[in-house]
Parts: sequence; C-alpha cells; structure tokens
Amino acid sequence: MPPTGLEPARMNRKKGDKGFESPRPYKLTHQVVCINNINFQRKSVVGFVELTIFPTVANLNRIKLNSKQCRIYRVRINDLEAAFIYNDPTLEVCHNESKQRNLNYFSNAYAAAVSAVDPDAGNGELCIKVPSELWKHIDELKVLKIHINFSLDQPKGGLHFVVPSVEGSMAERGAHVFSCGYQNSTRFWFPCVDSYSELCTWKLEFTVDAAMVAVSNGDLVETVYTHDMRKKTFHYMLTIPTAASNISLAIGPFEILVDPYMHEVTHFCLPQLLPLLKHTTSYLHEVFEFYEEILTCRYPYSCFKTVFIDEAYVEVAAYASMSIFSTNLLHSAMIIDETPLTRRCLAQSLAQQFFGCFISRMSWSDEWVLKGISGYIYGLWMKKTFGVNEYRHWIKEELDKIVAYELKTGGVLLHPIFGGGKEKDNPASHLHFSIKHPHTLSWEYYTMFQCKAHLVMRLIENRISMEFMLQVFNKLLSLASTASSQKFQSHMWSQMLVSTSGFLKSISNVSGKDIQPLIKQWVDQSGVVKFYGSFAFNRKRNVLELEIKQDYTSPGTQKYVGPLKVTVQELDGSFNHTLQIEENSLKHDIPCHSKSRRNKKKKIPLMNGEEVDMDLSAMDADSPLLWIRIDPDMSVLRKVEFEQADFMWQYQLRYERDVVAQQESILALEKFPTPASRLALTDILEQEQCFYRVRMSACFCLAKIANSMVSTWTGPPAMKSLFTRMFCCKTCPNIVKTNNFMSFQSYFLQKTMPVAMALLRDVHNLCPKEVLTFILDLIKYNDNRKNKFSDNYYRAEMIDALANSVTPAVSVNNEVRTLDNLNPDVRLILEEITRFLNMEKLLPSYRHTITVSCLRAIRVLQKNGHVPSDPALFKSYAEYGHFVDIRIAALEAVVDYTKVDRSYEELQWLLNMIQNDPVPYVRHKILNMLTKNPPFTKNMESPLCNEALVDQLWKLMNSVFFGIIGLSKYRPASSRSALIPQHSSGCDGTPTTKPQWSMELAWKGTGKEQSPLEMSMHPVATAPLSVFTKESASSKHSDHHHHHHHEHKKKKKKHKHKHKHKHKHDSKEKDKEPFTFSSPASGRSIRSPSLSD
Amino acid sequence: MADTAATAGAGGSGTRSGSKQSTNPADNYHLARRRTLQVVVSSLLTEAGFESAEKASVETLTEMLQSYISEIGRSAKSYCEHTARTQPTLSDIVVTLVEMGFNVDTLPAYAKRSQRMVITAPPVTNQPVTPKALTAGQNRPHPPHIPSHFPEFPDPHTYIKTPTYREPVSDYQVLREKAASQRRDVERALTRFMAKTGETQSLFKDDVSTFPLIAARPFTIPYLTALLPSELEMQQMEETDSSEQDEQTDTENLPLHISTVGPAFSLLHSTHKTHPCCPQPVTLRSRHDLPRASGFVSGTCVMGS
Repeated sequence: MPPTGLEPARMNRKKGDKGFESPRPYKLTHQVVCINNINFQRKSVVGFVELTIFPTVANLNRIKLNSKQCRIYRVRINDLEAAFIYNDPTLEVCHNESKQRNLNYFSNAYAAAVSAVDPDAGNGELCIKVPSELWKHIDELKVLKIHINFSLDQPKGGLHFVVPSVEGSMAERGAHVFSCGYQNSTRFWFPCVDSYSELCTWKLEFTVDAAMVAVSNGDLVETVYTHDMRKKTFHYMLTIPTAASNISLAIGPFEILVDPYMHEVTHFCLPQLLPLLKHTTSYLHEVFEFYEEILTCRYPYSCFKTVFIDEAYVEVAAYASMSIFSTNLLHSAMIIDETPLTRRCLAQSLAQQFFGCFISRMSWSDEWVLKGISGYIYGLWMKKTFGVNEYRHWIKEELDKIVAYELKTGGVLLHPIFGGGKEKDNPASHLHFSIKHPHTLSWEYYTMFQCKAHLVMRLIENRISMEFMLQVFNKLLSLASTASSQKFQSHMWSQMLVSTSGFLKSISNVSGKDIQPLIKQWVDQSGVVKFYGSFAFNRKRNVLELEIKQDYTSPGTQKYVGPLKVTVQELDGSFNHTLQIEENSLKHDIPCHSKSRRNKKKKIPLMNGEEVDMDLSAMDADSPLLWIRIDPDMSVLRKVEFEQADFMWQYQLRYERDVVAQQESILALEKFPTPASRLALTDILEQEQCFYRVRMSACFCLAKIANSMVSTWTGPPAMKSLFTRMFCCKTCPNIVKTNNFMSFQSYFLQKTMPVAMALLRDVHNLCPKEVLTFILDLIKYNDNRKNKFSDNYYRAEMIDALANSVTPAVSVNNEVRTLDNLNPDVRLILEEITRFLNMEKLLPSYRHTITVSCLRAIRVLQKNGHVPSDPALFKSYAEYGHFVDIRIAALEAVVDYTKVDRSYEELQWLLNMIQNDPVPYVRHKILNMLTKNPPFTKNMESPLCNEALVDQLWKLMNSVFFGIIGLSKYRPASSRSALIPQHSSGCDGTPTTKPQWSMELAWKGTGKEQSPLEMSMHPVATAPLSVFTKESASSKHSDHHHHHHHEHKKKKKKHKHKHKHKHKHDSKEKDKEPFTFSSPASGRSIRSPSLSD
Repeated sequence: MADTAATAGAGGSGTRSGSKQSTNPADNYHLARRRTLQVVVSSLLTEAGFESAEKASVETLTEMLQSYISEIGRSAKSYCEHTARTQPTLSDIVVTLVEMGFNVDTLPAYAKRSQRMVITAPPVTNQPVTPKALTAGQNRPHPPHIPSHFPEFPDPHTYIKTPTYREPVSDYQVLREKAASQRRDVERALTRFMAKTGETQSLFKDDVSTFPLIAARPFTIPYLTALLPSELEMQQMEETDSSEQDEQTDTENLPLHISTVGPAFSLLHSTHKTHPCCPQPVTLRSRHDLPRASGFVSGTCVMGS
C-alpha cells in the first residue's frame, strides 16, 4: 500500500534503522509496475513504473535509478516533466581505441563501470533531474511520485521470451516469457532501485492475452478483462516490503494446479505437462512443513507460486512468494534418478524464500549470511529426508569441492571488507576479477562462495548447537515478520535486512558463546587448511605418536590454530581425543587404552556402541590400533592426507560406520592393490546394509585395483560373479533378471557396476573380451516390461559402460578409418549405439538420456581412432530445437573436437553460437566448456592462437551485457555423469568431478601471444551487442537505442555509413513508432536536451 | 427312360466341351452320354438321307436333342411331384409331351418305322459315387426325450472341444533368449526401415548404409518429447502395479508371452505418437490387445497342463 505521505518522513536512524545507512538521499516506499502491452512476436514490452519516494535530504535535485536496456520515453515527477540522462557504462567496458588488451585492464575497467551504476553506492544508470518547481516541496521532505514510461525491445537479458515457431496463436504455441537474471538484475526489465537493501511495497499489473496467465509476486487481487474481452489484466499486490531484485514475472498459457494439501500454494506449468506437475509437486507440502517446524515460523508470504518454464536461465530461481523452475525438473512417477534431484531443487528454493527473499541483505558483503542460512536449513532438510548418510556424504562432497577449488584457484572470502580502496590490500588479488561486487564475480567463484557459506554455518552449529542456531533464525524471522507488518513511517523495514554484524550479535545473545575466532578464521579470512598426518606407535610407552603438519604457504591455504578432534579405534573401543593445534607443535602423544591382546576373543566395541567380531589376523601384533581418523566430524574446512597401513584402511572400510570414513578408506585403498583390499571392497559391495554411494565408489576402486594387479588377478573379472549373483537368473547366469527397480539401492548398484567393470583392462591394456560380452548381454537381455519404473537411466549407463570399454585403436601408418578395418568389438559397440540412437527417434527416453550417452560414446570412439573424427553429427545435434541436455552433450563433443583437431572452423562455429544462440544457458555453457577444455593453453603452439581471435574475443568481452551471469545452481546436464571417472585415455566427453578451472594459465601481462581464450572464463555470459564496440566515442551514448533498433531490423550495416543511416533511421523510427507520447522526450535522443547543456 | 432322367439330372451341370480332357469319373460319365447322343443324331441324319455333316452342325443338333430330352425329364419330374409322388409314371411323360406340343399318337408309328437304325446301347458306366462325408467317431444316439425321427446328431468333431496337447515352451533360458532376439530383430528392422525411408547421417563418410543413423531433427517444442512418457511406458505403468512387482523367481518357468506381433505392433504404434505441435488423432489403439493376448496364451498353457 502506498503510504500517502501525510507527514514528511524524516530519516530516523536512531530507532528503526539500526546500523543501516541508506546510500541514497531518499527512501523508496512503494512502487507500481504496470506492463500494459506484451508482444510475443516482436518480443517487446511497454509499460510504466511509478515510484513513491521520500527525500531524506533537503537539497535533493538528482535522483538516480537503475535501468538497463529499457527505452525510456518520459519521466514525470509529481506530474511535472523531468529531464533525465541515461548512461550505462557497462555497455562498453573498455573503449575501443585502447591499446591495452589484458585482463587486468579489462577487470579494472569493468569493476569501475559496475560500481559507477551500483545501487548500493547510491548510483544508477538513470539520472533524473528534479524540476525546479519541486525544490520547495523537497525542502519540506514531502513525498515524490516518479512516473516513468518505458519500453523494452528484444531484451538481451532480464526477460526471456520463448516463442516456438509453429502455427497457431501465441497461447497455442506455448509461447511464454519470464524474468531471469543473476543477483540483482531486475533493472533489465523495468526501472527501479535495483538493490537488495531498498525495500518497498508493490503493486504489479500485467495486461496479457486472455488465453495467457501472468504470474507475479504477492496476492492476485483481481483479473479484469478489457472491453473487447481479448485481454485481461492481472493485478498483484505485495504488501510485504520487498527489494526490487526479488520481483519476478512469468507469462504464458500455463496450466494451473492448486496444491491439494495447501490451498495457498499454486503451481503453474506449460500446456500438456499437468500430469507431471501433479506428480512433481505432490511432495512440496512436506518441505513446507519441515521448514515451518524447525524455524517455528510460518511461511512469511500469504501465498506461494511455482512456475515451470522452458529455456530456464537457472534451474531454480527464488523470488518473493514465487519460484521459477526449469520445466526439465518435471518428471513422472516412473523416473527414479530425477526425483531426488527435483525435490532438492524444490527444497532449495523454499529455503531461499525465508532467507533471501523475505529476509534480504544489507550489502553484498552480507550475502554469505543469507546463502549460508538457506543452504544450512536445506541441509537439515536433506538430513531428515534422505537420512544422515546422505547428509554426511553431501557435506563431504561439498567440503571436497570447496577445498579443491580454493587450493587450485585461491581463497574464497565470505565477508569481504573494503577499506580505503587500496588495491594493494585487495584480498582477492589472486583472482582476475574484483569480488567487490556480485556482477564482477566469476560464476564458479560464486558457486563456491555459496558452498562455503553453508559449510561455515554448519561449523557455527557445531559450536553453539543446533538448538541455538534455530533460535537465532527464529529471532531473525520474527523480527522481520514484525517489521514487515509495520507501516513505512515506523522505519522498521530495515529490520528485514540481515547484516553480518547483526547476525553475529544475535548468535552471541542467544547462545552466550563467543564465536569470534571461528568467524575470523572462516568468514573474514579466505583459504582452507591442509593437514598432513602420520603416526608411529610407541610400544614401550603404549602411546600413539601422531604428527600433524600443515601447509599454509600454498595459495588458498591458511594456518589453523585451535582444537582438532582425532578418533582412534583401538581393540578396546573407540576413543576421541581433542588435540590443540598450535603454532610450533607438530607431534602429539596420545595414550592408548588397550594393550595389544589379540589372543582373547572378545568383541570389539565401535564408536556407535555396536560390538563386532573382527578377524584380527591382518593387524600388527604389537599394536592395538585398528584405525585413526583426523577431524572425523568435518569441523574444520580442511583437506587431510593421512598415512596409515593398508590393513588399517581395510578395517576402517569394513567396520567404521561413518560413510565419510568409508569413502575416505576407499580412496586410500586405491594405492594398495592387494588381495586383502580386493576382499574388503568385495565384502562392502555385497553388504546390503552399506550405504549405496559407498558401494558405488567401491566398484570404481575395485576396477582400479584389479587393473593394478592384472598380472596376479585370479578368477573371473572383478565384480562379474558378484553381479551375476545379485542380478542374474539362478538357472542361467548369463541372463540378467527382468528389471525390477523397487529397491533403489540395488538399482543404483546394478547401474554402476557394469560401468566400473568396463574400466577393467587386461595385460595388453584392452578391455577383456569377457567383460564386453557381458555388457552386450546385459543390453541384449534387458527386459523392462514388468517394471514399474523407466529404465532409461539404466540403459544410458549401459552405453556409458560400452564407451568405457573402448581403448585406443592400433593404428598402422595413420591409415584412414574406414568400415573395413573396423575392430570387430567396436563393430558390436557401434551396432548397439546405432540401434539405441535410432530407437530414441521412435521411442524417446526421459530427458533423452540415451541420446546423450550415445553422443558421448561416439565421441569416445572418434577420439580413440575407431571412427573418423568428424564434428558434423554433433553439430546437427547441437542446433537450437533439440532438448538442452542433448545440445550440451553435442557441444561438449564439438569443444573437444576443436581442441583435438585444432579446428579453426569449429571454434568459429562455437563463437558464433556463443553470440547468437537464443538460450542463455547454452551460451554460458559453451564458454564454460571452452574454459574447462580449452582449445589451447598458454605457451602452446597452436594455429588457433592468432591475432584475429584475440580481436574477436576482446570484442566479445567488451560488447556483452555483463550483468547476466551466474548460472550457479544449474547442475550439469546429467549429474550422474559425475559418477563416471575419467577414462584412461585422458580427456573425454564426461565432466570430471574436479573442474579444471585454469586460472593460473590466464593472462596476466600484456601481449597477444598468450592464450586469449582464457579471458572467456570471465563471466562473459550473454547478450552480445557487437554494435556497441564499434561506436566511436563521440556518438557513444546519444544513439544507442536507435542503433539497437537499427541492428535488429537491418541485420548488419556497415558502420562506415553509420551517421548517414542514423539520420535516415531517426526519421523512420519516428514514423514507425507504435506508441505515441506527447512528451517532449518522445522520438528523440534519450539524452534530454535540458540536461545536456 | 431311366436314361432321360439321368440326362435331366446332368443337364444342370451344363455342357462341357468334349475336347477337354478330364479324368474325373463324373465327367467321363457325361462324356459317354454325350457320345451316345451324337451317335443318335448321326443315325437320324443318315436316316434322313445325309451322307455327311459338319461337326458343328452335329454338335448343334446334339445340343438341341439333349435340351429337348432334358426338358422332358424336368417337366415330367414336376408333374410327378405335383401329384405328390417321387417316381414319374408314363402318364406324366405323356402329359409332358402333350404340353410341349408333341402329338403323342404319332409316336408308336414312328417307333416302329422300318428304316430305323438300331444303335448299340452305350457301355454301362456306373453312376459316380459322391464321396462319403468324413465321419469321426460314433454319432451320439438321441437322448430319450428326443423322438427318433428327428435328425441325428452331427459328427462329434463338430461340437466337441478337442484340446491340443502341444508341449508349451517352458525353458526359461530359451524364452528369454527368444524374447530378446525377437525384440532386437524388430527394433533393428524398424530402425533400418526408418533410416532407409528418411534422411540419415553416418559416422563413416564412405559408407552410409552399414550404420545408418536417423538424422537428428530439431523439434519446435523439444521439452515435450523429452519429458512426457511415451505411450508405451504409460501402458506399462498401468499394467504394472506394485503387487506384480513381487520377488521374481526364474525357477518357476514364467510363461512369457512371446509374440512377434506384440512388441512390433506396439513399436509401430508408438511411432504414430502425435507430433506435439501438429496433433493428429491416434488411430491405432492397441493398448488392450496386448495384455489380452498374453493372458490368453498363458491361459491355454495352464489348461494343457
């Protein structure tokens, strides 16, 4: 509700605005967004906004707002025409005449451009001059209403139009549009104060075709038909103060589902998908219940909407009372693998509703609190839903990720504090970008930032207990909740903003504990800890001498001082010891409790109280130690390299009940290819009670061990008899049972084992014939008719297994690959791939998993020299119009081809797609893949590395909208691919678990001899507007928009004739103008004459 | 006169050209009769003073004579039946001849004319026997409540079930083997057919036929095909409820449904899946055929054992 300024609102910072100082000389209280025309054909939007503001200083004469790519026709303040100037420095980051082409220069220029319009610094692209008639009014600090008419034509970001080219009306075609963007990028689709800290109430109106539905934030107050009944207007009202960055919109011919469990929740999906929507969202109410229960707080908004759209920018995007999801998350009840992933996305988005949308942040440096809390409560949900094993496994995975990233790239700083602008003290000097601003960040860095944030929240929980933690969250929420129901005049709204200091204060108030050292270590400081551990047992003293070293000199590391938990499993039981890690003490003596006495047959007590019988014959007769674990609870962000004997790892794998410990021991056993390791792994594989992920990784470890001991290996190939026993018929062991995936654990094992088996190699380093026949038989006898679930993922993994079995072709004199000299095994594999790929055309599988696997397998065959290397097939699958997973798989192959064959043509083809593809995610992904698998690296001779390419890339970097980055939550096309380890032949089609983020290789100095492609690791994600680069400085800002239009209408114009065309075009533009405004600003250059002098 | 009746009976079967060689006894009988008639015609012609005659004219006269005699026979039979008898009497013939406008009184004189030629009787050929209908088993006697004059029961095989005792294929391994190879053949044939009839891509530039790949064609709405379960899957899901998902044991010889029609048909069916953008009515509705068929096969197997 707009508070109609009865009283000039004085800035009152004593009471309400605790600690929060607005960077603006005014306060926003209410904003109206009205979009009265949306044209899907032309992809254009026309509308107006009206901002209600209260000046906080008397001499306010310029008002800065954010607006990008919008065309602004007219600005009025309190019904008086106002002059304005529009200047977006991010459109051309480095001026063209610059001779300096290096990343540092670019990075600095870009950071400067971004902060020049940063709303958190009180800046903006749009500067409005307050008419002199109102000065007196302002002196009294009275309310101002700023009315801005704007339009948007072919937006490059912010709003994404999906318009399938088929017959029929837009609704029949399934055309839709939705808002998207990274961080605060609402300015891309309407003028606003695009900051997370400027809250106001909202009135949102959207006029759309009668067949369409507009979904937006807040409550739908009414829908009104126009007089001709062809259009209707959706009126939304959001009374909870919300930042513009959390405003969203989705319009399309949606099918609507009111949640059967919670009537205030509504789900929307594209036509024909309603059955999938029903199934997918049937679980959501449980997530709601969980969060509300642990937070002891009701969901803050009066309603919640989920919208599933195509060509999603990110898989999950949370906005105030509304989340936008990728339509590809929808699935039917037959799909196993996607179900947990989709549920995780739903839970993630809901967590962000509380922390991120309802509670917003004060500044960018407080972002970690929101990401941390939402990630942390999402983790609690995971623990409850998928169990403690899954949770611990996830934590370990996230920890490994952040550790790997920081050790490779350098530290991730959660709470950057920016001092007097001394660049020397820049905490992120190892990075090629500034971390001062979300828009200058690398996407990968931001992903890791979020990962670290929730891990640090977990560390805080470890310190103050979960109960206190939840109390703190509850306190934050109830404060915000109280504030949100207050009127603007009460100045309470800033309590809906969270800050680092406020959060920490709240923690100390609630728990009474001092967590300052912890914060200092992990939040105010970047880096992780790297421990090296080894031990010796002193028999005389019955003491374990533990040596723990640290590496704190390598980049991305820091020194750890403080307590460290060590768990020692002895014969008499498991004992925890807390060591004090100090500056100079490396050695720690830990007294042992038990004498070595393995003669007595006694059960051995474990950590969880369980008592087990163990065969102790393997252990050292003199030592009572079974195994040792350092920091078992993962209460330090660390990497531990610990040395203990192979039998200790084996005991740990068999008897330690913690999945993380089991995982670690599997990793360690890779280095001990012995029959004992083999036995331990086989036993784990067979153990039904064992966590399925552990069993899955045991498969791969077993394959590695088998390969290492190939000369001494006895019996059938590893896992074969095991698989036969578990999954094949009793009477005919070569035939697999008809599929029954009721037990998901065995399903995942059944899927994985053949993939791991295919990695086995014989003494000639070939995949044993027996294994290949086995996999081919699995495919042949696969029978899913009696199964309740789809076997598409299973079949896809069988193809992955076939691909894994491929070894490099023996090539004589580089002969050309033809059918005649095709290896007979490869012929069999090709036969299967051909059939599968063709069957996909007739009976497509869910998310085309099989096509994806086939394409990868074909690339593997090409790379290994069995099939002629040729990108044509992949290029056809990469075209727009294929399912996105297929496109990414195909593009990955093209990227790989570009690298292996050093193809200039393919690189150009990729660069062209980066500039022109309609789907932002695909554009981003190509760049991402090019940086992970670069066509050439620094100091490498390559015909691709030439000046023309440098020009091209430089132009590309300078000509895009940088704001739209950060597909942070998009997981790879198929997350299961992370299970498949690298092929021995080196780089292959499947993504690795460790991203090869080649920071070190990047440009530092000047010069064109360095790899230009490395630049593209910068978040150059979207929207090329190459025209802007060529604009000369003189005409820089005055005619952007005209040229913009011009380019779209006439494709490529020679810039030489620019000025001539400009004039001609101006007049044309006037005639063509579909909307008439009586304003003096209409049809003219957007630089208002009154300001320019 | 018995001859006449026989001719009348054969008249219905129409004339046959004598040139046609036939081995059938019935045909031989007709041919012999016809030859006799020809002899009669020839002798009458000789009597009338002809020395020779063209074959065609003899044939024509033979035909006329045969027709005349047939008509007498037919007519006489009608008269006899008219008076509720089964055997024609002399008076029936007389009435017939009168009716046909023949002066009966002249007949004795003509029969006794002096210059008449006597021809030898045709060789006696047996009336062809119609083969007896196959009788299988004993006809069932009438039950007491049915009067004996009612027709007899038909042969037992026409109304009694005769179950076949063919040994069902029960070896699990063979069944799986068969099911797998049949499915594979169908899939292969189908995809090859699709590849032959449409655009293809190939992994080998010099050879496009060994591993033909159906060309990738972009969709206007790609997510629909990717997300919606195919009709085959939908059908599968409906058929399989969780109760069926019990522990499967391969030892108990599951009567697997092996039918070439089944998978092939359903595959074809799903190729008719409507294109998401240009909806066509699905004409083939095979969903119910498959389960029924399989149920039926397994049903008979159970009966057999």
